[in-house]
Amino acid sequence: MQSLTATSLAGVLLDLCGVLILLGAFACLGSKLFNRYIAYYGMQSVVLSVAAAVVAYRFDSTPLWILAGLTLAVKGIGIPTAARRLLIKRLDLKRDVAMSTGLSTALIIGGALTAFAYLVIRPQLLPQGLVASAVVPLSTAVILLGALEMVVRRHTVAQLIGWLIVENGVFLGAITLVATFPFIVEAGIFLDLVAAVMIMVVFVSGLTRQLAEASAGELRTLRG
Amino acid sequence: MTAYIVGLAALPLAGTLAALLGARARGAGYTAIGASIVSFALSIGLLVRIVEHGPFLALNGFVYIDGLSAFFLMTITLVVALASFGSAAYLRSEEARGELSGFQVRLYFTFFGLFAALMLGSLCTGNLGLLFVLIEASTLASAALVGLEGKPTSLEAAWKYVIISSLGVTIALVGTLFLFYSASALHLTGNLRLTWPYLFHHAAALSAPSLRLAFLFAVIGYGTKVGLAPMHTWLPDAHSEAPSPASALLSAALLNTGMYAIIRFVALASVGLGDTYVHNVLLGFGFASITVGVLFMVRRGNFKRLFAYSSVEHMGIIAVALGFGGTLGLYGALLQTLTHAVGKSVLFLSSGDVVLGYRTRDAGRVRGLLTALPLTGGALLLGSFAVLGSPPFGVFLSELTIVRAGFAAGTPWLPVFLLLLLLVAFIGFARTTTGMVFGVGDVTDPRAPYPNRAARLIAAVPLVAGLGVLLMLGLWIPTGLDTAILHAIRAVT
Repeated sequence: MQSLTATSLAGVLLDLCGVLILLGAFACLGSKLFNRYIAYYGMQSVVLSVAAAVVAYRFDSTPLWILAGLTLAVKGIGIPTAARRLLIKRLDLKRDVAMSTGLSTALIIGGALTAFAYLVIRPQLLPQGLVASAVVPLSTAVILLGALEMVVRRHTVAQLIGWLIVENGVFLGAITLVATFPFIVEAGIFLDLVAAVMIMVVFVSGLTRQLAEASAGELRTLRG
Repeated sequence: MTAYIVGLAALPLAGTLAALLGARARGAGYTAIGASIVSFALSIGLLVRIVEHGPFLALNGFVYIDGLSAFFLMTITLVVALASFGSAAYLRSEEARGELSGFQVRLYFTFFGLFAALMLGSLCTGNLGLLFVLIEASTLASAALVGLEGKPTSLEAAWKYVIISSLGVTIALVGTLFLFYSASALHLTGNLRLTWPYLFHHAAALSAPSLRLAFLFAVIGYGTKVGLAPMHTWLPDAHSEAPSPASALLSAALLNTGMYAIIRFVALASVGLGDTYVHNVLLGFGFASITVGVLFMVRRGNFKRLFAYSSVEHMGIIAVALGFGGTLGLYGALLQTLTHAVGKSVLFLSSGDVVLGYRTRDAGRVRGLLTALPLTGGALLLGSFAVLGSPPFGVFLSELTIVRAGFAAGTPWLPVFLLLLLLVAFIGFARTTTGMVFGVGDVTDPRAPYPNRAARLIAAVPLVAGLGVLLMLGLWIPTGLDTAILHAIRAVT
């Protein structure tokens, strides 16, 4: 497969997209309003679809073009709209205060995780030099930040968004690392994502009705 | 042949279809039982054919069956059949008492069939990407079963399950991506670079650093589904909150499906990275799981949680067996997946009778089971001794094989440590279950678990059949099974 070097225009654009996606993850981590989580996630997904389009253009691959379109439609528009309608509006969610650490501590840990991702995913780990760009460490950092969001936030909606950010990070890595991933598998992954979000939305609404405040911090009946 | 395999995997959907068409617990239950028995028979036929004619590959590797998948198919279809009997009886009872609405019953059978079909499907594919897709989908289908009762605790368990498992399986996807990347040098097309038999054929040529990442991510990711410690935290909650036949399916089928995925990656990594590295990783996770499982089994309390921790322990034992390696270790591991699956089905299904009778999951409030519900009490007692590995049941034989494999592997203190942990497990587990079966105490007499004779009979079938299989496997391994296991081992070494 042809390489995607950092100096080519596509490489530079891809790096830029990666940085924007990382910023989106940080913004989500630093925000305290449910509305914003959804907005940042939507923005991140739109940038992701641009990244997919860049790779699709570079390799002139129809499946990747379809994938970019799917990303835009499902992650950029579909999931944010559905989450806003079904969760934020219907459950009347506004401020998210349930955190297990302070906001600044969370951001500092996030910074440390980003540095960690850079130190760990060195080029020698990726031997065949396909990706000269910084996208692989960036996507690793996004995965870690999403996981961090799931850990520090106690509200179920915030955990859901955290998981979606992890998914975006994986996807960012996937389109650059393995541009020729079989389309049928990618489509299956999308199907799973949609089904997962649907099931999670049902559980979140059920929990909210039962507990008044669906904070995973209150989910402590089952122990030991 | 392709149609045969797809049909086998899709058969459990008959129950789904019946439920969607509005059948009640009785009709949907009988449909599920019929379909699962046919698919069990088909899987035996498939196993025979694979042993005789070798692996089968079609549709660019999207359909692939070898000795390993045929063996797991037989195990899982057997568990699905046992759990279908249990479901038919359990749901009829819940429906008759008005504990579950008609909608919930239909929901149960819809997702029960879907869950079973997705697990069988994931065993039938050679494409590791599709394997991920199907395993993730089976998580989602089973999450609906866990949260079925709609109580705050079951929703909590379902939430925990879906969020932890989805994150775990996403990590397995990262592993799959790295595996795909490690095959860059092979000049295969996209599909073939994810197709297991091709990758296995070229395993020595895979790039080692990314293969190492792929292996670790896959063990952690699919290990979350298997319930390897420290990724096991969802498991006791989900197993205790799901309706009992669904718990049986989770414990005996879902965990094995995850283990199957891990074995596929282990086979690749053993060739590409060498045995020592792979074995050390598996031994680490395995012993951690056994220790965690055993320590929590000492606690008294919810008996379904006890069984769940026993599953963590057994999955750890299987990982340890894979870590000991060699033909003996693999033989023990595969035999253990079968015996544990049957034993745990019996335990969870009999716990369903207890839950229906006493309306509690607290072991302290269940006493004198043997006099109150003789069949359930007997099955619970024999089942727990079987699962704990006492002779003459099958688990004894498989655990003996694993310990022998450990001594053969040249690290005698590891199997000794394993035996020590098994002893503690025995004491902790048997203390609770014997108390439930023989104990005396001022507890209210249970209600009859099932509304009529037919339901009682259906509920008894899997208990008797499961114990019969366990007893048979303890006394004598049929030649056909022996050949099948050896064939499965040859497929991955």
